[in-house]
Amino acid sequence: MRKPFALLMLLLPAGAASLTAQTDYYLRIGAIGASNLLRDGIVSEITVRQSIAPLLVVGGSLPLRQGYRAGLEGNLSSGGFHSTESGVETDLGTLRTASLQLDLSGPIARQIRWWMGLGGLFYLPKDDEGIFLQGGTTRLLAGIGTDWRMAVLPRWDLMTSLRYDFHRFTTEELKARGFGQSQGISRFSLSIGLARGHR
Amino acid sequence: MNARCRWFGIAGLLAALLGCSDISAPLRDDLYEWRLFVPAAVGGGTDTLSFHWPRSALPVRVWVEDTVGLPADFERAIGIWKSVFLYREFEAQRVSDSVGADVIVRGSGSPGSLLRATRLHSALRSECTGETDLDFGDDNTEFRTPVRIFITPLAAPDDAGLRECLALTSIHELGHAIGIFRHSPNATDIMFANPVVDLPSALDRGTIEVLYHVPPTLRLVRP
Repeated sequence: MRKPFALLMLLLPAGAASLTAQTDYYLRIGAIGASNLLRDGIVSEITVRQSIAPLLVVGGSLPLRQGYRAGLEGNLSSGGFHSTESGVETDLGTLRTASLQLDLSGPIARQIRWWMGLGGLFYLPKDDEGIFLQGGTTRLLAGIGTDWRMAVLPRWDLMTSLRYDFHRFTTEELKARGFGQSQGISRFSLSIGLARGHR
Repeated sequence: MNARCRWFGIAGLLAALLGCSDISAPLRDDLYEWRLFVPAAVGGGTDTLSFHWPRSALPVRVWVEDTVGLPADFERAIGIWKSVFLYREFEAQRVSDSVGADVIVRGSGSPGSLLRATRLHSALRSECTGETDLDFGDDNTEFRTPVRIFITPLAAPDDAGLRECLALTSIHELGHAIGIFRHSPNATDIMFANPVVDLPSALDRGTIEVLYHVPPTLRLVRP
């Protein structure tokens, strides 16, 4: 999973050499929360959920036409996940997620832009056990959001982003245990950071 | 690709993402009886004995005598039972000091006399045998530690079947110590009285999963 990020970090500066004036980069930090990963029933109901986790977002974009831009956005989060049964929570360990999305954005108002992306989400559990006994999983991810930017320095903007994304979750272990279908998961994130580039 | 096709493609992708129903959990009704039914300690009738290690008592401390490769067999057995659970219901670790251990494993025959313990004889293969002593107290309401497991090699050390026997007997006896008090009636289960398989079956997994979500009748008592 480190490879896509390494590639992103290499490609963006490379592109900057030829498109310095048009390329936009950003780095944000924030928090991300998600709906239940899983709902099971063994005697009573058990739910599994990720805790709200810190988030690191890095991305860049190039201009298309009429204010539209195309880019690549990656994010990385790391936090706990837990099960809840009859009101009792059990820590299930650490779960990292990373995503990489190709995106398209366009203007809404002078400082606000819409954003939509499509890509992959990688579940990277710290330990291969429980629902991740056979390892992590990769899921198709679709997201939408808005970006708000305010100039703070001649070439730097303060950037605040709100994102919603959706994917369907299952693992090889859950499939092996007889779980059918997959769970729809909604994630929301809020992040703030700096962007350098277009105005 | 014209614009109409492109929008149909996007709509199809979104429908695939959003349209499916939620994950469906498997039915866990395929299991065997794990509880022990004994004459009631007080009055007439029957006492039902059921136990699982409470989360507050995890990890279960297991001491294993360093003989005939038993430490490695039990290390593996712990990992195998741990991997059966989806939600960290059970954890155990080997400890170096038998004082304070929850489970004590000996590589020699069991003592002849029993005080209060209930002895589960099992793994009656020609190469090795296993026994697990469980102490339910005087009134059948307690699960007193330590649980004592006895693994007895019967074949010569160079017998090809001994290693396999010790490995699967370790899993079987640990299965008793973590709550399966009875034998499965199916030869394809590791908890069959004379096991021939070397790993827990789907039925073993279903049984232990359910038993860890049913309220126990016994209360853990550590010395």
